[in-house]
Amino acid sequence: MSTENSDQTNLSEKKDFLVNSSSLKDVRSFSREVFEKFKINEDLREELVLAIAEAAQNIVKHAYKDYPDTQDRMAVRISCTDKELEISFFDKGKPVEKSKVKHRAIDDVKPGGLGTFFIQEIMDSIKFKEGDKPWINNLVLTKKL
Amino acid sequence: MTYKVTEEGNSSTVFLDGEIDMDKTEGAKEVIFPIIDSGKDVYLNLSNVQYMDSSGISVLIESHQKALEKGTKLIIKDVSKSVLKVIMMAKLEQILNLE
Repeated sequence: MSTENSDQTNLSEKKDFLVNSSSLKDVRSFSREVFEKFKINEDLREELVLAIAEAAQNIVKHAYKDYPDTQDRMAVRISCTDKELEISFFDKGKPVEKSKVKHRAIDDVKPGGLGTFFIQEIMDSIKFKEGDKPWINNLVLTKKL
Repeated sequence: MTYKVTEEGNSSTVFLDGEIDMDKTEGAKEVIFPIIDSGKDVYLNLSNVQYMDSSGISVLIESHQKALEKGTKLIIKDVSKSVLKVIMMAKLEQILNLE
């Protein structure tokens, strides 16, 4: 885990993880540690952990769908000011097709398709960007505090 | 994730433990589905599951639907506060049998 700025009003922590479903628990542990360090409201913490884990899961399931044994790593950066939390994800998988990123209709009850819905429910904004080299995808989630 | 199964008459209670994510869903299905296939009602005790993501919710939906197809019941018991929050976020509290 690396701290990019220790200024109390602009905190940022970044860590990378192997792109694999077994890394998801490590992504959650990292997020919980950072939110405790950043003193994020306890009621909000687990919701944010869920949103982060769902976004990381989407990288494993979709960006690396055809590469289950990849040794690539993905990075998660959590930044916080007094007013806003910004969570960025970086990966080198298949480029995200924004038009295909959608959740299932919530009243069409069936397994799957809820991860993106949870992210939308929890976060205030979701932006897909092209990643700066070496990254391919950069997802940015924000939440007003 | 760890689990324990107890049996009483024509029902079984499955106690799941830990965090249920994409990495644990196959294990959960391997425990729950054979009981449903055997025609028994399943009580799924989630009191010791402190975290569940969309993959875990999918297991609950799939188990519920499988039970309906088999003419049995899946009853979800003692849901922890954190998991209930996720079930409600998915608007499933009126769909799943919560006790």
